[in-house]
Amino acid sequence: MSAAETAAKTVKQRAEKALRDDFLRQAVRFTTDRLRSARLQAAQDQGNWEAWRERGRQIRSHTIAHLDYYLNQFAENARANGAHVHFAETAEEAVRIVQAIAERKGARAVAKSKSMVTEELHLNKALEDIGVQAIETDLGEYIIQLAGETPSHIIIPSIHKTRRQVADLLSREAGEELPTDTPSLAAFVRRRLREVFLTADIGMTGCNFAIAETGSIVVFENEGNARMVSTVPKTQITLMGMERIIPTWADLEVMATLLPRSATGQRLTVYMSGISGPRRPGDGDGPEELHIVIVDNGRSLQLGDPEFQELLNCIRCGACLNVCPVYRHIGGHAYGGTYTGPIGAVLKPAFRKNVAEWDDVADASSLCGACAEACPVKIPLHDMLVSLRRRKVEAGYAKRPEALAMKTYAAVMGDAGRLKRALRLGRLALKPFARDGVIRARIGPLAGWTRHRVFPAPAGEPFRERWASLQRELERELAPAAPVVRQRLEEALRRRKRSRETEGGAKRNGG
Amino acid sequence: MADDAYRQWLAELDAESRRKQQAFLERLAAKLGRPRVTEPPPHPFRGAPDFWKEYELSPEERIARFIANFQAAGGHAFRLSGLEEAARFIADRARELGVSAVIRQDEPLLAGLGLESLLSGVEVRVWNDDPAEDWIARAAGAGLGVILADFAVAHTASIVTLSARGKGRSVSLLPPALAAIVPTGRLYTRLGEVLSRFDETGREALPAGIHFISGPSRSADIENDLTIGVHGPGIVYALIVDM
Repeated sequence: MSAAETAAKTVKQRAEKALRDDFLRQAVRFTTDRLRSARLQAAQDQGNWEAWRERGRQIRSHTIAHLDYYLNQFAENARANGAHVHFAETAEEAVRIVQAIAERKGARAVAKSKSMVTEELHLNKALEDIGVQAIETDLGEYIIQLAGETPSHIIIPSIHKTRRQVADLLSREAGEELPTDTPSLAAFVRRRLREVFLTADIGMTGCNFAIAETGSIVVFENEGNARMVSTVPKTQITLMGMERIIPTWADLEVMATLLPRSATGQRLTVYMSGISGPRRPGDGDGPEELHIVIVDNGRSLQLGDPEFQELLNCIRCGACLNVCPVYRHIGGHAYGGTYTGPIGAVLKPAFRKNVAEWDDVADASSLCGACAEACPVKIPLHDMLVSLRRRKVEAGYAKRPEALAMKTYAAVMGDAGRLKRALRLGRLALKPFARDGVIRARIGPLAGWTRHRVFPAPAGEPFRERWASLQRELERELAPAAPVVRQRLEEALRRRKRSRETEGGAKRNGG
Repeated sequence: MADDAYRQWLAELDAESRRKQQAFLERLAAKLGRPRVTEPPPHPFRGAPDFWKEYELSPEERIARFIANFQAAGGHAFRLSGLEEAARFIADRARELGVSAVIRQDEPLLAGLGLESLLSGVEVRVWNDDPAEDWIARAAGAGLGVILADFAVAHTASIVTLSARGKGRSVSLLPPALAAIVPTGRLYTRLGEVLSRFDETGREALPAGIHFISGPSRSADIENDLTIGVHGPGIVYALIVDM
């Protein structure tokens, strides 16, 4: 699904498309199951998981609460290391800075490792616009770039592609028919991207964490492509969300304990790289020039907002996606944004405080709270989704039928007589559609449900109306107890009373 | 000169960034509803929880844990009696893999392995010993990289390598196979024991690249099917040597 197509429809329409895609549903379920059980196993192996989560939350919350201090400290130390640090308040500013560097360098090709921020900025498109080729080098990202698509999962971006589709895409790139087994496909990608690493003018990375005290950026990865793009090209540009900061290397131990385990269940990703400035004099590799672009792009809107500040604690592990019953059914593209799943459902509207621009992405949740439970830094995502919905209604952006429905509900529930009449009316209206105790007809507001399931028909005599006779029955049966039973009960009560008195007495006397 | 023009442009960009930085941070402070924080705030939650800081394995346990976890991640870990055995091990693997070139870090201990004499017919190169050479191309052309671990961590089964003039990052990255000598004295229990050192040594003493390597390069991006060696080395040997 192309970006334009994604943006054109509502969440509901995109979800319907996803639900019709059997491979997608199966693949998403399989992958999320695998990642979810790996996370649970890893958390159990590590032990004291709640203490780790709490410490993660504390470090992240502390840093965000003092973000101006730590960001300043990071920038000064990164400069002292020899890096060029840039601040971008908006996506446009960030794009302009990167374009300017690429143009001044006369760059033709940029080799990229995975970075959600660059997705957020649509940086690949912006580079193409000035005639610079941006090549994704993470295997999954490379595949979906060839397909002209966007990532559908934070950790496994190509979750929605079949082996056959991957083989077709890579064969087209190779100019020959490649075998469909994984080793052959991966070997082709290794060869092809090796050339890219060795010839790219600029290497581009994201940033998982930035260490304020030493001005270092830290990148977690499994393939080695982030190491490639930060080792081989002469110029490196790193894009980082402004909230990626942690104070010290000691704090990195907590993040390194939480992030890989929550993402894939690994003890640590295969590579964890700390980069402090460009290559030192005499070094034989590493970038000669290092640029770090610090991006706001709506993040600061959460600062000082009690309901949303913790959103900036997110470490982008994807654990909330893997446990979300909605994500597991509709996959990532249905969310229609860069970030998917529960975190995406909150980030997308939260980064744009203009309520009028929100679509219905915050509705794509059952509010079950599984996301908050899985979150390694304890972000209350489901509470945030409720807050978003509330704010939308408060701002007068609720859908008209929904507002009308809520008003009617209040009027009916507030008056017993009205409720009784409404229920009778409903029962009569549904009667023609009921067969064998269920409704299958796709009518009115029921259609969304009955398309895939049956709806139980209303009972012939509803509970509300049975209540009067039920109450009478209860009273009738309780009133007369059999004399034998009654005698036994009274005797038991007397015994209990006596024993309590002697106990108390014994205490008072004997001591 | 174009180079001068570029440097001047870069200097202007930096100056502009410094101006922007102040406005950027003022805005964040305003959002947080207080004046700019300019003094270090007390950080009561620094690092791992206390119970974890007390966790320490005995030297023997560390070795056993490292080997088990490294193997579980798809790497190969062995405990060897000394450098002589390590040298033989590396030479045997190089011959098995049929490599035509080996590249190693410029470390006295690695020079002591004598790989050059053990591997006749195989080109053994020392990273960056000749400034005229294209060392990245050399590393890319080598079939095996040999490094001396600066540190290692048992709990996560990680080898740590720090970049330096004689210790290119490419040595542990570009060849399809990697062998790392891990002296037992450099093997720690927890990640934090190694990470905290970088806080202690401070910014000025940090190398440009600090790399934790915990097994072979891997990916599961094609239908969840595990692929080894997609970009980095697919074969990684950790050779724990008593010394």
